[in-house]
Amino acid sequence: MVDEYHLMGLFRHEDQAAAVIRELNERPWKLKRVHSPIPSRLITEALKLKKSRVGLFTLFGGIFGLLSGFALSIFTATRWDLIIGGKPFVALIPFAIVGFEFTILSSVIGNVIGFLVSARLPMISTLELYDPRCSSDRFGILVGCEEGQKKDLEAFFKQHKGEIRVFDAQT
Amino acid sequence: MNQLSYAQIDQTILDTLHPPRKSYWAIVAVLFLGILMGAACWIYQIFMGIGVGGHNIPVAWGTYLINFVFWVGIAHSGTLISAILHLFRAGWRNPIARAAETMTVFAVCTAGLFPFIHLGRVWQVYYILPYPNQRTLWPNFQSPLVFDVIAISTYLMVSSLFWYTGMLPDLAAVRDKATGLRRKIFAVLSLGWTGSHDHWRHYSRGYLFFAALATPLVVSVHSVVSWDFALGIAPGYHSTIFAPYFVAGAIHSGLAMVLTLMIPLRRIFRYQEIMPVKVLENVAKTIVFTGLIVGFAYITEFFMAWYSRNSVEVEVFRWRVFGVYKPEFWIMVVCNTMVPLLFLFKKIRTSIPWLFGISILVNIGMWFERFVIIITSVARDFIPHAWGFYRPSMIEWGIMIGSFSLFFFLFLLFVKHLPSVSMTELKVAPGRGGQQHG
Repeated sequence: MVDEYHLMGLFRHEDQAAAVIRELNERPWKLKRVHSPIPSRLITEALKLKKSRVGLFTLFGGIFGLLSGFALSIFTATRWDLIIGGKPFVALIPFAIVGFEFTILSSVIGNVIGFLVSARLPMISTLELYDPRCSSDRFGILVGCEEGQKKDLEAFFKQHKGEIRVFDAQT
Repeated sequence: MNQLSYAQIDQTILDTLHPPRKSYWAIVAVLFLGILMGAACWIYQIFMGIGVGGHNIPVAWGTYLINFVFWVGIAHSGTLISAILHLFRAGWRNPIARAAETMTVFAVCTAGLFPFIHLGRVWQVYYILPYPNQRTLWPNFQSPLVFDVIAISTYLMVSSLFWYTGMLPDLAAVRDKATGLRRKIFAVLSLGWTGSHDHWRHYSRGYLFFAALATPLVVSVHSVVSWDFALGIAPGYHSTIFAPYFVAGAIHSGLAMVLTLMIPLRRIFRYQEIMPVKVLENVAKTIVFTGLIVGFAYITEFFMAWYSRNSVEVEVFRWRVFGVYKPEFWIMVVCNTMVPLLFLFKKIRTSIPWLFGISILVNIGMWFERFVIIITSVARDFIPHAWGFYRPSMIEWGIMIGSFSLFFFLFLLFVKHLPSVSMTELKVAPGRGGQQHG
């Protein structure tokens, strides 16, 4: 098994990081991850990322909430069939309010679950291959390479005025 | 917008998390005593019965409902600032968004206590839960009071999740600068956030949906609160304009509370550079707008009473202006509709003492608005021999002071233990590069 080395190039500006990512696409090294202190459109475009599917969870949550809101109201109304103000037991207009609130609640819960599942959070274990400066003021590009490519990669980051952090080799 | 570097932004905000001075703990202790006093009053009420409050027949809803509506209202502008202005890409709201969201969460928590307090036999709260039971009783989902329980619970859940999710990147930033036990705590709180491209991709999308869902929710919640009154037949309650009137009033009071909280925060934490006067000025301009809507609603209520030629309705509104509660009515009118017009003058809306003073007056005015609506309507309804009078009892005052203490207590704990300004949102402010969340 060949040892894989991980190097992180740390850059001060997002446009610098985006340019490096674009160039890395044409190089033999493997781009693993990009860490940034802000959500960056430039980086997203350079990585050619697809849209997140969190919305699907939100949508299914919403549909579930809408149905369960109406179902709960109708079920309880039919359990306790007391005529109130001459209104029918199953009164859809007031139940729409319950349905609406349940829709929002369930959509939001779906949204949170979707975000956590998609982003693979929570991840309480140690932060591997991560530099704490990336949550503050650096854009970190993590690249994997074989031993023979390490020097070229370091030179590449230096050429783009990046600071370099080398992580231990992983088998 | 501020031109601080990312590192300077982090430093300014992380500096606020240093161990506080003794004066901070002294204020926290005073507020805690206020909470204890409120709790003691509540316990006394539980032992002696709900009658120790000042409410009576016909005024069965007193300060417990007034404070409930007041705190729910305060909560609303937090969502306006964090969700609605986010969707409009109003970058000026970034420095105050976190504190406003926090205000929302704590205000809803405080509001949520009042239905429990008003229940009397609070331990029987489970009666309202829909589950098969030997009593064969079920909640009536046609009742606005049940709508309200659902709406407020939903609002608390959504605003708490919105607040916490939005804070994840900042919690990670604190974790990365912390050491020892503090680092361990923030490592758990930040859920292992690393700001990787995948994290941001899903976070941005999720945040956008959060904002899009919180926007209709905030409108619905205070509409539902207004229907607690509007779906009743009491004169002064039974009005079709209540939903938009209450929503505008809620945002009016909430924005004033944002100023009341932000101005001392800005001074104490030396946030002048990240929270320029322009931000506070924009809040003041919005207060002028909401104040005009509220003023228009007041006039419309009187017009509708006069135009209806319903003698009971006319009498209720005449009595509001000239009756025993006229001081409360005029405090409401002056503080909510006239005083905010001072913000039309640039000199006033850019002056910190004026901004602070006016924000407090609007808070007072909005509390009295709820007093006027809730009390005067039922104190003077259909049957003259059943007319009544209401003044809060000492127990109610105690619980009210306790609720205000609780709110400020929680807020003070928050500002010294969690980032009170969103570092991420400051870094993506317009003209600085980056993108808005979502």
